Amino acid sequence: MEKLRSAFDFSDFPPLDLSIAGIVGVFLLVFPIFPHSAFAMATMIQFLMFSLYGMGWNTIGGYGGQVDLGKAQYVGIGAYTTAVLLIRWDIPFWFSMPLGVCFAVIWSFIIGYPLFRLKGHYFAIATIATSLVLMDLFGVWEFVGASRGLEISPIKYHPPDFWRLIFKEDIYYYYVILGFFFLGILYVNGFRKSCLGFQLRSIKDNEDVARSLGINVHWAKIKTYAIATAFVSMVGSFHACYIKNIEPEDTMSLDISILIALMAMLGGAGSLWGPIIGAAVLIPLKSYLKEWLGAAAGLAGIDLIIYAVIIMLISALEPRGIWGIVEKVRRRRQR
Amino acid sequence: MDILIGSLVAGILIGMILALVALGLTIIFGVMDIVNFAHGEFLMIGMYTGLLTAKATGMDPLFTLPVSALVGFLLGVVCYYAFIRFLMRGPMVAQLLGTFGLMLFLRNLALLIFGSEDRALHHGVLVGKSFEMGMGVIIPATKMAAAVLSVVAFLAIWLLMNRTKIGKALTATALNAQGARYMGIPTEKMNALAWGIGGASVTVAGALLVNFWSVNPFVGILFTMIAFAIVALGGFGSVPGAFFAGLVVGMITEIPGIWDFLSYTLNWDWMMDVPMTSFKYTGVYLAYFIIMVLRPRGLFGWKN
Repeated sequence: MEKLRSAFDFSDFPPLDLSIAGIVGVFLLVFPIFPHSAFAMATMIQFLMFSLYGMGWNTIGGYGGQVDLGKAQYVGIGAYTTAVLLIRWDIPFWFSMPLGVCFAVIWSFIIGYPLFRLKGHYFAIATIATSLVLMDLFGVWEFVGASRGLEISPIKYHPPDFWRLIFKEDIYYYYVILGFFFLGILYVNGFRKSCLGFQLRSIKDNEDVARSLGINVHWAKIKTYAIATAFVSMVGSFHACYIKNIEPEDTMSLDISILIALMAMLGGAGSLWGPIIGAAVLIPLKSYLKEWLGAAAGLAGIDLIIYAVIIMLISALEPRGIWGIVEKVRRRRQR
Repeated sequence: MDILIGSLVAGILIGMILALVALGLTIIFGVMDIVNFAHGEFLMIGMYTGLLTAKATGMDPLFTLPVSALVGFLLGVVCYYAFIRFLMRGPMVAQLLGTFGLMLFLRNLALLIFGSEDRALHHGVLVGKSFEMGMGVIIPATKMAAAVLSVVAFLAIWLLMNRTKIGKALTATALNAQGARYMGIPTEKMNALAWGIGGASVTVAGALLVNFWSVNPFVGILFTMIAFAIVALGGFGSVPGAFFAGLVVGMITEIPGIWDFLSYTLNWDWMMDVPMTSFKYTGVYLAYFIIMVLRPRGLFGWKN
């Protein structure tokens, strides 16, 4: 009960933040009423999915300072669990999603235990390595369709199927992921004020001091890694139902992992709103640049060049991201 | 038996070239503690440089190595002064993602300029020729030349690092940048030099590689990961470590081939469903993971 109250308690934010967040929340709720193109709808769903991924990454990467570049493996585990269970045994989404989360968390414990003995660059690259190994394994595993991947064919079901999450119109998917999105914000809000959240921040600031204060550093990191994994795997399951066609090269590629980390960093790692801001900037930018420049003008790659330049500028000039700029301006005004 | 020796020789040859690929990464890491994700893209640029100069001038690709080295040196120095210098002020996350941005930039620039199709070299003195060593071992001349030149490059870098004043200054910067600055070593220039040498060695590796490996804009990431594995195994920042680790990794990539051959000759039907060669590079990643967990300093590492 105490935890629940803490999750709903946003009182430590300034009123300006809360009113902006409220306006954005209401806008997200009523967005489908306005006339919009199918492309805009798809972009919005992508935005919500990636801000959830980013929130998951933010728990370990932002609050804990452990740069994880292997989140795509958990997207893959979630997506594959849901797809395989649905195709082979007709098990609906609401059962397969928790099961996928269980698998992902078990896997995160298995690799997290040795991984968290590493620090800094070493940790980051080792997470990439595990992700690539898993991608190669799924690429040859005949049970899950090897490199062809799996396809959920919507013909067999009768949309709208709320039980299996098979819909014809994107608007249903939009509201499902929006529900997850609000739950995610509440969870992270509770998390950052929990005991574990404070332990993590002290680990980020100085690991030796944290250890001398009696914090079990290794275990705290593993627990948070499992939380981050659960977030990512949950949205991975949704991804399987929404995209309906998953391939290892696509779902588990390094690009997805980096995109997740990038979004949280662009918005501002270690803050509640950071990943959402990052996703709100990057996802529309990415899809509209691709639409306007890549496909229409026939210039392959130019969208990603612009995108890469933005990444480089942000990391060189303001590594604490957009939220870092906001906080800097605020502090200057207080003086 | 023949296949074993043949695989061993092939593994050593490819390992020498992979070691040269990793050399630049280990120098950059040793001097400035930054992991360069764009390393494979430097290699890709080296491959294109070798290919295009050879095609444009009609020279044999082996004689275009100086051009590639120059391009690589300039690329490294320019990247350092224009970009990496600013990254070094930020936290580690910013460095990782910044070099990742550089990688994305170079890759897509190549895609925009050269297009996505595979390109390969079809002419040259050595292309298509091979030595027969007896016992069924056949060594392609291109690989042989690349391996020999890789050893030469390693010796040159080793001499530079251990026998010259510049090498001493580089080592001093690596050990303690602030102390080196007090001793009058221009550390900023040394960092730029490390990037230049790193870039030059990897583009030379690319120009050697293009003799027997076709190039497209997406070739980089595989080599980046292999180079990470080699550098981890050899120890971050160690030049001799990179060489020996390169040989080991080269042989790891040959194991799946031997395995497949064995299961084929022994008629293990249950093994034949999935050819192990699809795990050619998985072994490398796995090796990286295991080494990092068991011995994060690597075999020859001197930096913690």
